[in-house]
Amino acid sequence: MRVAAKADGSVLISREPSAMLGVRRILRGGGGVLLCLHRTAQYLYPSGPERVLARSLSRTPYSSRAALKLRTRLGVTVLVGAGFLGAWWWVEQEKQQLRRRQRVEQLRTVALGQGTFSLVDHTGRRRTKQDFLGRWVLLYFGFTHCPDICPDELDKLSAVVSALDRDPDLPRLQPLFITVDPERDDVSALARYVRDFHPRLVGLTGTPEEVQHAGRDFRVYASAGPKDEDGDYIVDHSVLLYLVSPDGLFLDYYNRTKSPEQVADSIRNHIRNHVPL
Amino acid sequence: MAAPNSEQRKACWDARDLLWRCLDDNSDRMQPCQLFQGDFEAKCPAQWVKYFTKRRDFLKYKEKMETEGFTPAKGPQMKINGIHPEVAVQFV
Repeated sequence: MRVAAKADGSVLISREPSAMLGVRRILRGGGGVLLCLHRTAQYLYPSGPERVLARSLSRTPYSSRAALKLRTRLGVTVLVGAGFLGAWWWVEQEKQQLRRRQRVEQLRTVALGQGTFSLVDHTGRRRTKQDFLGRWVLLYFGFTHCPDICPDELDKLSAVVSALDRDPDLPRLQPLFITVDPERDDVSALARYVRDFHPRLVGLTGTPEEVQHAGRDFRVYASAGPKDEDGDYIVDHSVLLYLVSPDGLFLDYYNRTKSPEQVADSIRNHIRNHVPL
Repeated sequence: MAAPNSEQRKACWDARDLLWRCLDDNSDRMQPCQLFQGDFEAKCPAQWVKYFTKRRDFLKYKEKMETEGFTPAKGPQMKINGIHPEVAVQFV
């Protein structure tokens, strides 16, 4: 509140705007703190003639003043140390985020799974890539006559999907199995095969051209071996689990060395950090 | 010929495991393990027998590499008639 005398003898009483009042209070408070700090500094580190006077007039004995100094220095050191640790931890977090973003960018430039596919599922229904948009997809290429690798990988795939199913906050993953052996793996063969794994597993097959097109989209290597007397053969193929986002973009891949827990953790991370296009 | 189902796969893998355990116990001699070999060949498709046999050979080879080590193959030697290569270059 300000009081002023006007030219005609009357008194003008005006109130300062409240913002200015707040600023003044802060400045007064800040000034007070600075003054307090200054006085403390003067007491702790007296300079010049004050030093001699302070020493002779001082009532605290030398050893306890040294202890006070030590405690202060220790306190300051711990605070500074904590500050550094905090800063380091924050920088680590930022670095990890950057690394994750760079990996997604790298995978995006590799641009796997950009195309579309049109295949027939194990119930005989035609499915295209569009049908799976909006779902998180975990995809595996294999064949039903596979000795041990495909059953192991499909067991791993089922374990990952079941683990993620247990979390009610996560969206339900769609496991897919695409054959690299369309000559032998028709609809009924696939139906018999996928029964042994996760109930939501969908098997996909088609003509050799359709299957090749889908495989090429993910740069899958597949090469049929020599046939024996029974006409049986083994198809050599790349062994990977592919993660596709609801936007239909390839996000990550997992090889044989990854355990179900590692794959599930990675997928949980991707889901949490997913930014829809 | 239909692909083996879950039970048939498991039967084949168990037969293979028994055979491999027998071979491990008898330092890879086939003679005492003939019964297991017969059972393995009966329970698994022919392609799988070939595949698992090759796989065992590979695993044994890998084990040998890891325990006994190996000498890397020598690369091409740069020597011409015993003369030092730099000196051997002649301008005609």
